[in-house]
Amino acid sequence: MSGAEDNAREVERDDPMIAAEWSLGLLEGEELLAARGKFATDPAFAWRKGWWDDWFAPLTDAMPGAEPGDHVWDAIAARLAAQQSAAPAGAATDTTNVVVLAQKLKRWQWVASLSSAAAAMALVWVALTPARVAFAPQPVERVAAAPMVATVPIGESGLRLDVTYIPESERMVVAAIGLIPDGVHDHELWLVPADGTALQSLGVVEPGAVRSMTLPAATAAKLGDGASLVLTREPIGGKPEGQDAGPVVAKGAFTRV
Amino acid sequence: MAARPRPSTDEAREALRHAMARLAAGDQAALEEIYRATRVKLFGICLRILGDRKEAEDALQDVYVNLWQRADRYDPARASPIAWLAAFARNRAIDRLRTGKVRGGAVPVEEAAPLPDESPLADALLVDAEQVAQIHKCLGALDARTQGHIRAAFFEGKTYAQLADSADVPLGTMKSWIRRGLQRLRACLEASEAA
Repeated sequence: MSGAEDNAREVERDDPMIAAEWSLGLLEGEELLAARGKFATDPAFAWRKGWWDDWFAPLTDAMPGAEPGDHVWDAIAARLAAQQSAAPAGAATDTTNVVVLAQKLKRWQWVASLSSAAAAMALVWVALTPARVAFAPQPVERVAAAPMVATVPIGESGLRLDVTYIPESERMVVAAIGLIPDGVHDHELWLVPADGTALQSLGVVEPGAVRSMTLPAATAAKLGDGASLVLTREPIGGKPEGQDAGPVVAKGAFTRV
Repeated sequence: MAARPRPSTDEAREALRHAMARLAAGDQAALEEIYRATRVKLFGICLRILGDRKEAEDALQDVYVNLWQRADRYDPARASPIAWLAAFARNRAIDRLRTGKVRGGAVPVEEAAPLPDESPLADALLVDAEQVAQIHKCLGALDARTQGHIRAAFFEGKTYAQLADSADVPLGTMKSWIRRGLQRLRACLEASEAA
């Protein structure tokens, strides 16, 4: 077993290799971030990660079982109940609130693209038959309650925060998929109102998670056209009381969908 | 091992598969059933990786809450439900370890005291025997040193840097040892699938 011989041949670090490294849990920092990003966007890579997970899973049989405290189930049940009761009375819509909001958003995007497609087709039709047509169908007008979305790209990483605000329910969804904590900092999201008034904290971003929250009315009121977002780097737990916010690491603006 | 009545593996697996399907369809009651059947195994995994009871209990909570939120991601055609759940729990525990908020990290094997296992269902819920035999066979075909490092990564949640540190070799050396091992492992596992 000679070290020189061991290092003589480098193994190519292709995608299946990266998936194996990640599945074993070897990766950290940038490499872990990159693997997570790839997982979200590359089905072949996601499949390979699952393949390794499946093959390694039997090794867990060698880990001795252990009985958790009774309070663990109580805490799980309480968290599920809290999610349920966060739903507005009389509406089962928010039971799995993030999913429902995502579906709602998709529907909105669909409606929006359908409307503009219909409008475009109507224009073509008008152009082709100028003599006969005196009217064009009106695109569905529902802009007033349209969700607002903002994308906050994180540096050159290709990763981003996706922020969606649904006016009718005053809920905001912050998706930080692919982001991982560095263990030293948290990142805090701020609303920058278009009217030049003070920044409003939207809280610390939870890396890797999709979180849904109800905005206080005062904050929601500032969230109109022209409002933007900044992300600052803070100590763990967010900006300390009485101190200035940390450096701005990313920005984004809201648009209506 | 003391004789005790327990459901057959097939029966337990089938019950779990059913519960997972119900969960995916939005039946919250199925979660409790899954918890009762799998908590001992999944908590064992979290405890092994995190090495701290309190952390492991928090991780376990997240595992089941997450499972409820994302049960639709489980594809019954893919793997036995317990294999999928085991990987799911281990991934969550590793994520937690990598946040840096956990003090110690994994404990050595000797210190992770096995607790008395009173749940008959849980020890019936081992991963599919054929798959178990194959991964052990392919791992066993690697040289002892590589095998040891891959096992340390899996069981103790060690990163490349930590493994290089404890073996007192440069990071690049550890990476090429393990990558070569993973390459052989993949070839061996794929050959078994093709057979």
